[in-house]
Amino acid sequence: MLTDPSFWLVQGLNSLQLAMLLFLLSVGLTVIFGLMNFVNLAHGSLYALGALIGYSIAEASGSVFLAFLLAPLAVTAVGALLYITLIERLRSAGPLPQVLVTFGLIFVLMDAQRYLWGSDALGVTGDVPFSGTIHIGSEPYPAYRLFIIAVGIAVFAGLYLLLNRTRLGAEVRAGVDDAETAAALGVNVERTFFLVFLLGCGLAGLAGAVAMPAFSAEAGMGVEILVPTLVVVVVGGLGSLSGAFVGSLVIGVTLTFGTALFPDFAGIAMYAALVAVLLLRPQGLLPARS
Amino acid sequence: MTRHLLALALFAALFAWHSQAEYYGFELLAEIAVFAILAMSLDLLAGYGGMVSLGHAALFGLGAYLYSWLGSDMVGLSAPLAILGAAFGTGVIALAVGAVAVRVEGIFFIMITLGFGQMGHEFFFQNKALGGDDGLFGIQRLDLSGIGIDLSDPGSFALAALVSAALVYVLLAWVLATPFGAVLKGLHANPNRLRALGLRVLTYRAAAFAFSGTVAGFAGSISAQHTQFITPHLLNWTTSGEVLIMVILGGLGTLVGPVVGAVVLVLLRHELSSITDYWGAIMGGFLILVVLSRQNGLVGLVERLLPGRRG
Repeated sequence: MLTDPSFWLVQGLNSLQLAMLLFLLSVGLTVIFGLMNFVNLAHGSLYALGALIGYSIAEASGSVFLAFLLAPLAVTAVGALLYITLIERLRSAGPLPQVLVTFGLIFVLMDAQRYLWGSDALGVTGDVPFSGTIHIGSEPYPAYRLFIIAVGIAVFAGLYLLLNRTRLGAEVRAGVDDAETAAALGVNVERTFFLVFLLGCGLAGLAGAVAMPAFSAEAGMGVEILVPTLVVVVVGGLGSLSGAFVGSLVIGVTLTFGTALFPDFAGIAMYAALVAVLLLRPQGLLPARS
Repeated sequence: MTRHLLALALFAALFAWHSQAEYYGFELLAEIAVFAILAMSLDLLAGYGGMVSLGHAALFGLGAYLYSWLGSDMVGLSAPLAILGAAFGTGVIALAVGAVAVRVEGIFFIMITLGFGQMGHEFFFQNKALGGDDGLFGIQRLDLSGIGIDLSDPGSFALAALVSAALVYVLLAWVLATPFGAVLKGLHANPNRLRALGLRVLTYRAAAFAFSGTVAGFAGSISAQHTQFITPHLLNWTTSGEVLIMVILGGLGTLVGPVVGAVVLVLLRHELSSITDYWGAIMGGFLILVVLSRQNGLVGLVERLLPGRRG
């Protein structure tokens, strides 16, 4: 198995595919974290919401592409609601109350999803784009996974341009670097945070919608993906776009090759990576703040 | 003082309930006792020491596994030795983990305890010799027939668990009143001042983590005896989160608060889960309301209603 080049290629692509999903999830989380020192533990629940809403849209309209477009918007709307009703009120209360409120939200959103969609895994029944397989050596490989990789890379490129070439991007970088000084220089940090929060929610929804045709949608999927996403955020470095990308690659490779080669230790390896980074390089691999 | 009186009233109420209870009540009381001990140990760490952990259930589960393993045919210790082994074994591992974890603070401490806790969960989940994800069953209970107590009886077991919880309360209240307790509160309030006084802050933080872990391991050994069946789920971060909810709900840094939180949450879970599948949403909503109210949990609320008498 180990001398077969197609094994390495297939596992490499699987790593990349998992990494891109983790990237879509962690990038919003990390920038919110970097801007406001606040962890949204309900971020994974928004991912599940994106998958479930995407499933319903795809079933109702017969178009998975419509689901990719509308599910992120719907999740963004839910995110805006959560922000206005809960998170904004706790802005002055410090990080712990915010973490606790989003922890409570995990249970609320999970049950809301079970109520609306039931507890079973839902697979889309209509036509799925890129549903064919390609051949890597002698191995058949689902083309849809390549599509997920492409979406991840496209989003990274788009965010890179947004962050480095636009006014909003400059405000985000300034806010992450030193929120007080940025505010003193006339940046509306609260508004920037709100926009970044919405963008993060939208990307979580997109990740869910894109994952749905490949992995089906179910209410519990948000809690499962949350911990690896948090690991990516810490390993990559808080508030950093390229950190989230590199962290996703590290964790994607660790989990995928770990599962293929040492199935009993893949999870432990991921958490060991988290602990090692926190101890040796607590600012993460590519921190946003110098 | 108010808080100790509140604790006295609460434990008295639990013992009074026990005298009236039947099988279902005994099961609830034993569960309340287990979670009260666990939540108090987390309060020592999070409420007094300022170290909020999302990996505390891993120490609890470790205690449960250690007790079951030490008492099983694999090792064959008697139950009293297995309880001691579970508590101190968990304490030693907590010391090793704590020595590393206490080097980071705040949100990073939450993350690193989450990481260590999930490593523990993963270890037992994958460990086929300890039952893997099916867990272990047929776990023995302590044999007190020598002094005329039969712990296989649910009522006697619940009583023993409640007595244990009351003793843990007294122990922790005493520890908090010692110089070590004063340092612990100081670690939270102003670590720099303690450093300036010449205290080794990291050593004290690690010691607090180890002590809290010992108590959590003890709670695990009672839980294993209660259900006589354990799974890796005991160690999962969602269990840690539930215990943290108990502490917050009751009142952080009050010692009696976690007992209140354990009573409320265990009762809510059983009452609500019998009438609705969605008790998680109610529990989560309850947590959100408590945090939004900006009171220090139910104990904070009670103290606010008793003007001029702060504990």
